[in-house]
Amino acid sequence: MKQIWVIARRELASTFDSPIAYISATVFLVATGLMFFFGIDGGDDYFEARQATLRPFFDAAPWVLAVILPAVTMRLVAEEKNSGTLELLVTLPVSDSRIILGKLLGSMGFLFVTLALTLVFPAVVMTVGSPDIGAIIGGYLGLILIGTTFLALGLMTSTWTHNQIVAFILGLLLCVFFWTATDALIKVAFDRPPMALRLLTFKTQFAAFAKGVIDIRNVVYFVSVTAVAVAASTYTLKSRNWR
Amino acid sequence: MADAVIQIRNLVKEYDTITALNGVSFDVKQGEILGLLGPNGAGKSTTMKILTSFISATSGQVTVDGLDLFANPIETRARIGYLPESTALYPDMVVWDYLVYCGEMRGFTRAQCHERIRSLAGRVGLIEKLKEPIHTLSKGYKQRVGLAQALLHNPKIVILDEPTSGLDPNQIVEIRQLIKELGKDHTVILSTHILPEVRQTCDRIVIIHKGEKVADGTIEQLEGKLHGTHELVVGVGWDGDDRGEPIRQELATLPGVLKVTHSHGASDPIRHQVFEIDAKQDMRAAIFAWANDRGHTLVELRRRSLDLETIFQRITSEA
Repeated sequence: MKQIWVIARRELASTFDSPIAYISATVFLVATGLMFFFGIDGGDDYFEARQATLRPFFDAAPWVLAVILPAVTMRLVAEEKNSGTLELLVTLPVSDSRIILGKLLGSMGFLFVTLALTLVFPAVVMTVGSPDIGAIIGGYLGLILIGTTFLALGLMTSTWTHNQIVAFILGLLLCVFFWTATDALIKVAFDRPPMALRLLTFKTQFAAFAKGVIDIRNVVYFVSVTAVAVAASTYTLKSRNWR
Repeated sequence: MADAVIQIRNLVKEYDTITALNGVSFDVKQGEILGLLGPNGAGKSTTMKILTSFISATSGQVTVDGLDLFANPIETRARIGYLPESTALYPDMVVWDYLVYCGEMRGFTRAQCHERIRSLAGRVGLIEKLKEPIHTLSKGYKQRVGLAQALLHNPKIVILDEPTSGLDPNQIVEIRQLIKELGKDHTVILSTHILPEVRQTCDRIVIIHKGEKVADGTIEQLEGKLHGTHELVVGVGWDGDDRGEPIRQELATLPGVLKVTHSHGASDPIRHQVFEIDAKQDMRAAIFAWANDRGHTLVELRRRSLDLETIFQRITSEA
């Protein structure tokens, strides 16, 4: 367990040693801030809605996370493969699964820091009205879960290649695909999409959180997808043995 | 071998179309410095990568300190310190933090890491660089950081892949000295292209060529194997003008001598003739007695040794 923390600490320090972390965090804050105050998809913006709610923020945030988090995770394994540091890391007495969990935990540190910076939005809302605190907590829990899932998918694509740009593009495609493209494809394929299929998309699973509803099934869903991505990453790292 | 720390049996590593190792077997004894030699692509690094669990083998058995390597990869890694050929380190880290990171990964507390780094830094010549970021270090210092992380946990076995590549001559001498010192407390496997390094540091060499072991022994043993006969160089004081032909004939009649050839004449300042002798056995004592009986001045008497380059070339070209 200690090794996971040691790796996570190093990864977090290394993430904030790179400009990508600061650029990503800034993009997230500016983009979600703009969408929060001025609306998304032509919907009501914060001022028109005349409601003390964070719904526009929670609707917008997963979009932006799907773009910035693969930029943070792209280096996690691809850079180690490219520079050769992976050889020293995996020949230390540590299992491949601990390496992957440590790296995921380190990148979650970035997610937590970035989300913590957005607490200014609920602070603003609270100054002008009485928002539903439960909804805010639910929304943030949803963002942590979906963000962690995006990180795990990005980490997985980072294990597939030596090239960080390739890892980023693949991670971005996967995150955007699972966030929204699956939903769009299902809608194109079916006039009345079966609920079972709709439940496969991140958007459907996240919708309840955005409303402030914490459903254990949604939690299990995101945790399960994260676990699958972690297992796949470990499998790829281990596969160096068979080549 | 009873005191073997590493036992390798029939090690095979096949890639898609290439067989990198084809049934390699050898042992490494406790406290031995073993030189692993071979041309580029011979399978040296593959052997080292398997020993350190970076890659697995297609078949074969490896025992490290009594443990099956493939069944206990984590436990065997804990007993090994490894310096890979690339010596890739995290450039964004400070040397001290990097070594603490490696120590913590090996299960030490921060306090234990600090103590170990302090005691090791002098040994590997890193004291004045401990607070510097790794990306600012020269190749030689990076190599020392790599060595420090390999020795931090005082491992039973140290595996060094090309430890002096890219270093300047002074650094090479220092690292070689360090390797020799390591041999007092550790079992060392060293891969290198630099043959004089092997002669200076290694107790024994294993030569791998085209994925197979083609030689195993001390340098002297390999020399003997290549010679087949005992070769001597004899210098005898001689003033005549006939290139020492009478002496050559006398030497040729000695029991055990197979062939005598005149090499050259010299005067430095004693005028003498130099002969090369092939014999069934070591003739040095007999030749000394012969010269003494005949009243010849023996100017030179030595076994002719092959340099390691010649041994290496002959073995790898024969294989």
